[in-house]
Amino acid sequence: MTTALIILPLAAALVVWLLPLPGRAVGSLALLAALAEVALWAVAVGGFDFERGLQLQDRQSWFSDLGVSYHVGFYGFSLFLAGLTVVVCTIAIAYAVWAGGDRGRAYHGLLLFLMGAIVGVFTAQDLLVFYAFFEAMLIPIYVLIGVWGGPRRLRATATFVIYTMAGSLLMLASIVVFGLSQDTFSLVDSGVSSNDWVFLGFLVAFAVKAPIFPFHGWLVDAYRESPPEVAAILSGVVSKAAVYGLLRIVIAKFPEPVEQYQAAIIAFATVGLIYASVLAFRAPDIRSVTAYSSMAQMGLIVIGLFSLNELGISGAIVQSVAHGLVSAILFLLAGMVEARTGTSAFVALGGMARGRPVLATLLMTTGIIALAVPGSVAFAGEFLILAGIYGVGWGWAAVGAAAIVLAAMYMLRLISAVLHTPRGIDALEDTPDVRRYELAILVPLVALLLVLSAWPASISERAFPLIADGQETEAAP
Amino acid sequence: MIAGAWLCLLAPLAGALTITLLGQASSRRTAAWISTVSVFTAFGGAVAAFIGLLGQGHEEREVVTSAWTWLATPNFQVDLSLLVDPLSVTMMLIVSGVGGLIVLYSIGYMDGDPEERRYFAYMSLFVFSMLLLVQAGNFLLLLAGWGLVGLASYLLIGFWHERAEAVAAAKKAFVMNAFGDATMALAFFVLIWQTGTLDFQASFEGAGGLSQTAVNLVALGLLGGAVAKSAQIPLHTWLPDAMEGPTPVSALIHAATMVTAGVYLIVRAHPIFELAPSISDLAAGLGAITLLVAGLVALVQTDIKRVIAYSTMSQIGYMFLGAGLGAYGNSMFHLMTHAFFKALLFLAAGLVIHHLANEQDIRRMGGLRRVLPRTYIAFLVGSLALVGIPPLSGFFSKDSILASALASGGYGQILFVAGLVGTLLTGLYTFRLFFIVFLGEPSPLVAEHSSGHAGGHGHGEGPWTMTVPVAALTVLAVIGGWVQIAGVWHPFGEWLDPIAVGREHLALVEPSVVQDYVTSALAVGLGLLGMLIAWTLYGARTRPVPRNAALQETLEHKLWFDELYDLVFYRPAVLLTRGFRRGVEQPLIGGSISGVTLGTRGTAGAVGDAQTGYLRSYALVIALGVAVLVVVFITVQ
Amino acid sequence: MQGPDVVWYLVVAALLFSIGTAGVLLRRSPLIVLLSLEIMLNSANLALISFARHHGNHDGQIFALAVMAVAASEVVVGLGLIVAIARRRLDLDVDRLRMLRG
Repeated sequence: MTTALIILPLAAALVVWLLPLPGRAVGSLALLAALAEVALWAVAVGGFDFERGLQLQDRQSWFSDLGVSYHVGFYGFSLFLAGLTVVVCTIAIAYAVWAGGDRGRAYHGLLLFLMGAIVGVFTAQDLLVFYAFFEAMLIPIYVLIGVWGGPRRLRATATFVIYTMAGSLLMLASIVVFGLSQDTFSLVDSGVSSNDWVFLGFLVAFAVKAPIFPFHGWLVDAYRESPPEVAAILSGVVSKAAVYGLLRIVIAKFPEPVEQYQAAIIAFATVGLIYASVLAFRAPDIRSVTAYSSMAQMGLIVIGLFSLNELGISGAIVQSVAHGLVSAILFLLAGMVEARTGTSAFVALGGMARGRPVLATLLMTTGIIALAVPGSVAFAGEFLILAGIYGVGWGWAAVGAAAIVLAAMYMLRLISAVLHTPRGIDALEDTPDVRRYELAILVPLVALLLVLSAWPASISERAFPLIADGQETEAAP
Repeated sequence: MIAGAWLCLLAPLAGALTITLLGQASSRRTAAWISTVSVFTAFGGAVAAFIGLLGQGHEEREVVTSAWTWLATPNFQVDLSLLVDPLSVTMMLIVSGVGGLIVLYSIGYMDGDPEERRYFAYMSLFVFSMLLLVQAGNFLLLLAGWGLVGLASYLLIGFWHERAEAVAAAKKAFVMNAFGDATMALAFFVLIWQTGTLDFQASFEGAGGLSQTAVNLVALGLLGGAVAKSAQIPLHTWLPDAMEGPTPVSALIHAATMVTAGVYLIVRAHPIFELAPSISDLAAGLGAITLLVAGLVALVQTDIKRVIAYSTMSQIGYMFLGAGLGAYGNSMFHLMTHAFFKALLFLAAGLVIHHLANEQDIRRMGGLRRVLPRTYIAFLVGSLALVGIPPLSGFFSKDSILASALASGGYGQILFVAGLVGTLLTGLYTFRLFFIVFLGEPSPLVAEHSSGHAGGHGHGEGPWTMTVPVAALTVLAVIGGWVQIAGVWHPFGEWLDPIAVGREHLALVEPSVVQDYVTSALAVGLGLLGMLIAWTLYGARTRPVPRNAALQETLEHKLWFDELYDLVFYRPAVLLTRGFRRGVEQPLIGGSISGVTLGTRGTAGAVGDAQTGYLRSYALVIALGVAVLVVVFITVQ
Repeated sequence: MQGPDVVWYLVVAALLFSIGTAGVLLRRSPLIVLLSLEIMLNSANLALISFARHHGNHDGQIFALAVMAVAASEVVVGLGLIVAIARRRLDLDVDRLRMLRG
């Protein structure tokens, strides 16, 4: 089952690459494959028992003498992360079909490949498998940004490559040391470790991916230069690989160092939260604001994870899903605005609400959820995270609460700058509203956000049991 | 009863969703009626709940109903639950009843606006949120409603988004309320960790076992939210600016319902506030300060809506005073009557503004009595009720709060004096406004809009959709106070009583009849004195208005609060941003990338020189390397 | 059958290896360099086989076969390159073929 979830998009990518189909057919085929993946995920949810731990496992020995095996499976929380992945990637592919663009076969193939690799990351139960999927996830991103990106794409790609490579190498080193010292690379079979250096290697690798202050140098360029749908995947989904890694590897396997470094990690995440929120408040365009807000949200999620209690961790999972959807919508909306006006800079925009009710409603709804208005799913996540961190220290919670006020400030600024007065030079009278196809792309995501807002418990109470509470697994079938 | 409560909550939500989803498929008029009907349906549900509750015995008037689990982790759970008890039903009736009238009024007021649908969707959303706030069965759901009313308020203040001031005011209101939301959330964290629950009853019971510090923190956090939402000092500066929104919005959100949510919160969470007497006293004190400051500032305002807005702040100050001292029933009573007469004043002001084609500056008004005779009467009734002249509603409710203050010991008596001074100010500013706008000769502007009726507004005092709600509220403003007459009968207080946990009566203080009558005499006397001064200065104009430049400027700048916040919060934030960008982001984060690039390039250049291109030098290096390895292996062995 | 001692085989292998090394390092014609490489590889093969025989273990022989396969492929590529260079009428001189210097 899990393997099918991983293979389906990869196989579809291969088909798209190899079959010499015309442009339109390629898009339809890719979209069809993505929708099939969503359906497959739904089937997986149907067969999942949220009362138990690791399920839907597939396990094949790979090199037995090193204790490496191809081992994939789902926990409750990773099932939600995978769900986020398939949904956002599907929407991104739909957007790519709408946006057109050159070399469609290569492009759609890469998107599908990316989707499969990310699902692989969220299911990996063996460190080498995890590493392989992690790297497989990064390669299409390099290409997608470097080839199809904006005018400064080369610098963006180079920065991204440098950062992620450095992170990956540290992770590889840590994996090797950890695996050899444990005599197995399996995350299920291995015990815990208290080696600080190995711990830090993993930590930094995931901190780059998230990103956590001060490892965010790649962030703004990458989010601003990539095609909108790639930015949506990058900030909405790929950053959640860090969540999975921190939870499945760092917190589960290094209890002692985690406890020792807890305060420091929370401190960095909090600094990043405030720092990014403040920068978002003065950022000059939609994408930069979304980028910095993404970083702030990831800071918050890491705070939740490292509160190390059930409130904080389930809050982090809820917030991961909520933020994934929100930032995907915001980047896609930014793309639609750019497609109309040629820019996402605030100075050139404004006054777009008048006569464009659909755009205004979508942006307003998403923005309002993004700033975590009480009652929204983002609020539910933030509330749990901050409630969790309050148990660690009230000061952290106070600072986090202050960041929520900052979030209100920067999101309202974004909304006003795009929708409200004064009208910018590039927002013309006849700039069209969101059309039907675009609406069809965005409505599922917005609807999902609203449904989750009505019922955030659907995630929060199913994110457990976690790996941290004992190594509960069942024998693979 | 339970069905009524759910109907009450969900009807406006359904209305908002329907309007949004229909979009341009529905006419503007249809959207307006969908919204109106949805809110009146909610009122019907509230009435059903009220009747259902009346049918229960005194002790059983507390029903909790859950739909599903809203948020949960294995050891913590919050349900989507409604609490139906006298307090919430009272609020439901006020919100949906007054709300329905105001939405009906909006049909006429907003007629012709190109974005009517959006307006009515927002109005329904607001009513839903407010009902969620008052019906919530636990603190988290209350906070959800709390945030959503703030959202609706933001959307409606900034409804005319082509006006920069409106957008700025909307943002300001939202951000200040977000601050309140944050302090409330912090209070809830304390409750979660100390009592393990956010349900009202359970957490009240759990709060009994907390340390004094913890209880104080909880109460302080709740108070922070209440102060922000109810525009009390020091978080009050958003309310006057909020008058940028359409007038019915000001009537509904910024007078009758949302801004009084703070009072509701204090009454709802009264067991916690009673455990933290110092915080309760703080609430009462803030109320007293606000009622004085707002009364003073109202004296110099020139925008008709801003005068009423400051008066709202001032009246909520009375409610805080009462709630802080433990006179919960009296505060709720004033909340109700205030909803009637303040909505009336706003709607009447709306008729004036509507008639004058959106002019709001009272210096350009005058002599409207002859032009708008019925509006004149409505405004007069509202003003008299506001000042507290018997037998209008404000008289009973305000005096009951003041009497409770008189009965609350030394601290209460200080606040009592403040309240009395406030009464004087109320008479003064209310009738200053009234005389300037309605008496005297018609001003040029008024004359222009009254002759010929050419400007598209020439329909007398407005369509029936506008006049009927005003008439209804006029009646309510007159009779609304008769449900509780000090020393004679107290059905309102008795109705609210059952929410008190383990105590005979809800109120902590019960003024004696003598105190009641002394208070009434003083308050009415001072109110009349205020009116008299207003008459000499602005009505008869027998004396010039006294001027004091420094005082005038201070009041016109609203005691410099905006400037202070600008200096203390906004500017440092901007500086911080600039500092982060120039001090960290560009040199360190961006610089590190450039550093890596340059370093790589330099190293590459140096290493590249070793690549001579001569095959034999490579081979030699390899051979030497092998030789070294061999030596190493041999020696190691 | 008792052949010469394993040492002699190794001496021959070492000699061959040195000759090969010298050829690689000193000669300028790529053809001769390739030839010298082959000599080095075969000296290694010789060593492998002699050790295999000495230890009575056949792994060395198998490995020698692998080396031969590698050597053959290498020659194919190398000769191909040389032919390509000659076709372009460049000097067949390794000291001049240094376009890939850093």
